[in-house]
Amino acid sequence: MAAEYAVEVEGVVKKFGSLRALDGVTLHVQSGEIYGLLGPNGSGKTTLIRALVGLVRPDSGTVTVLGKRMPDVAVLSRIGYMTQAAALYPDLSVEENVGFFAAINGTQDNVDSALDFVELGTRRRSVVAELSGGMRTRASLACALVNRPRLLLLDEPTVGVDPQLRRQLWDGFHAMADQGTTILVSSHVMDEAERADRLGLILFGRLLAEGTARQLTEQAGVQRLEDAFLKLSEVRS
Amino acid sequence: MNLHRVFAIWRRILAQFRRDRRTLALLFVVPLVILSLLYFLLRGGGSKPTVDIVNEDQGPVAGVIAQALQRGDKLDLHGTSLDTADADLKAGRADAYIYFPGDFSSRAVSGHVIQPEVHLEGSQPGASGAVVGALAQAMQSALSALPAAGPAAAQGAPFRVDVKVSYLYGGPGFDTLDYFGAAFIGLVVFFLVFVVTSVSFLRERSQGTLERLMASPLRRSEIVVGYMAGFATLALLQSVEVIVFGLYVLKIHNSGSVALIFLISLLMAISAVNLGIFLSMFARTEFQAVQFIPLVVVPQVLLSGIIFPIQTEPGWLQVVSRLLPLTYAVSGLRDVMIKGADLAWGSVQLDIAVVLGFTVLLVGAAGATLRRRVA
Repeated sequence: MAAEYAVEVEGVVKKFGSLRALDGVTLHVQSGEIYGLLGPNGSGKTTLIRALVGLVRPDSGTVTVLGKRMPDVAVLSRIGYMTQAAALYPDLSVEENVGFFAAINGTQDNVDSALDFVELGTRRRSVVAELSGGMRTRASLACALVNRPRLLLLDEPTVGVDPQLRRQLWDGFHAMADQGTTILVSSHVMDEAERADRLGLILFGRLLAEGTARQLTEQAGVQRLEDAFLKLSEVRS
Repeated sequence: MNLHRVFAIWRRILAQFRRDRRTLALLFVVPLVILSLLYFLLRGGGSKPTVDIVNEDQGPVAGVIAQALQRGDKLDLHGTSLDTADADLKAGRADAYIYFPGDFSSRAVSGHVIQPEVHLEGSQPGASGAVVGALAQAMQSALSALPAAGPAAAQGAPFRVDVKVSYLYGGPGFDTLDYFGAAFIGLVVFFLVFVVTSVSFLRERSQGTLERLMASPLRRSEIVVGYMAGFATLALLQSVEVIVFGLYVLKIHNSGSVALIFLISLLMAISAVNLGIFLSMFARTEFQAVQFIPLVVVPQVLLSGIIFPIQTEPGWLQVVSRLLPLTYAVSGLRDVMIKGADLAWGSVQLDIAVVLGFTVLLVGAAGATLRRRVA
C-alpha cells in the first residue's frame, strides 16, 4: 500500500522563529502522478519541497519519499531537484554542469538525453554565464533530470521560459510521468498549474484544498482556477 | 552638476551602511584593534636582544667593556659561564653570547689587539646587527676610558679591533629577506588560499548550487573532502611555485629539507581551505566574505612572529599568539629553513603537530558548518 505513494507528508510543522512556514501539512502524491503545488510567494511551497529532500527537518510530523523516511541520503540519488533560481556553475559549460550533476549521482550515461530533452544539445559547449535566462532554466532542468529520477521536484520551473518551450517542457513532463516518474511541481502561475494531474492549494503553510483543477473550481463554484484559489483562501482564513 | 542628485547618492550610501552593521564595525572598530595591536607590539615589551656575557679575562679590559655595554643599555645582559652560554644559545634562550678569553687584557696591552668573540644565534638578522653594533659602541667608549690604554693610543699605536664573529645558524650573508622569506612562504599560501576558498564557497551558496549538492546523494564529508582536494591541488601547485621562486630565483636561505617546507605549506593550505568554508557560513555576500580578510589575516600577520618576535610581546598577547595556527607554521618554517631542522627536532615536531591539530579542528568546523545550514 505505502509503495503506491511516491511522497507521503503527514502533519508536518516547521517553524522559523515565530513564523509557521509549514503548519500541519498532510499530502500524498501517487507514483507516476504530476502534482501541482499552487500558492502565492511565501506560502510555504519551497519549504515543503526542501523538506522532501531532507534540507528542512520538520519540528513535528513525518516525510516519506519513495518509501524512505527522510532525511535519507541514499534515496536522494533517485530524486531530481530543480531549485527556484537556476543553480549552475556560471564558469562551466552547459555540458560540464550537467556532467557534474550526473557524476555526483554516480552516472555519466544520460548527459546527452538530458541535454536533448531541454533542447540545449547545440549549446552544450556554451559557458553558462553567456546564456539567456530561459536557457539557464533549461540547463538547470537538465541537471535535475540527468540521474533519471523516480521523483522529480520542480520549484517554479518555467519562470522566464517562453510559452512555446513551456508547452514542450510540459509535454516532456507528461511523457516522463507516463513512464512512471512522479513529478511534483510548484507554481504561482494558475494556467500552468492546470496542466498537473492533481493540485494542492497552499497558503500560510497550510494545505487549503486538493483535487483536479475541475474539482477545485466546482468546489468553489467558480469558472476559473484563479477565482477558486481566491475564494477557497477566503473561506479558510 | 545638480547638488540634489549628488545629495541623493550621499544619503543613499550612508543609509546602506546604517543597515550593514558589520561593515560599520569594519570601518570603525578594526582600525582601533589594529592600531592597539601595533601599540602593544612596538611599545609593549622590552625588545632588547638577550645576550650572555662570558668573562674569563684575567685582566681589567673586558670588565671595562662589559660595563660600557651595561651603560649603553641596548642589550639584555647576563653574566654566565661558557657552557651555560653555549647551551642558552642552542636552546634559543639567548640571541648571542660575547666571550672574553683569559688573555684578553694581556693581548690588548701587549699587542694592542682587542679580540672579543661574538657567537650569534644568527636566525634573526635584526638581533645579530644590534648585538654587533652595541659591542662596537661599547668598545669605542671603553677604549677612550681605559687609563692604561689611553697613553698608548695617544702614542700613535692605535688598538686593532678584531671581533671574531661566529654564527650558529645562517652566516654573515644572511639577511632580512632570509629571515622574512621563510615566514612569508607560509603566509602567502595561507592568505591566498583562504581568500580564494571563502569567496568560491560563498558563491556555491549564493548561486544555489550548494542547495543542489545538499539535495544530492553526496555526503557532507564528501563535499568537504572534495573541496579540500580541489583547493589543496591548487595550493600544492602554488606552494611549488612560491618555494621554487623563493629558493632558487630569490635565493632565500634554506638549510633544511624542501619536503618539510612543502609539508608545512600544504598543511597551512588545507587549514586555510577549511577556515574559508567555515567562515563563509557567516557571510551572505562576497563583499562580507572579503571583510574577513582584515579580521583573519591582519592579526595573524602582526601576532604570529613574522615581523615581531613573539618573545618581545607583552605576556597576554603572547597567549593570543600561541592560539594562532600561523605562529606554529612560521616557527616551523624558520626552524627548517634557517636552522636546518628536521623531524627529529622537538620544536619542529611540536610545530607540525599543532598545525596538524588546527587542520583537523578546522576540517571538523567546516563539516559542522555544512550540517548547520541544513535547518
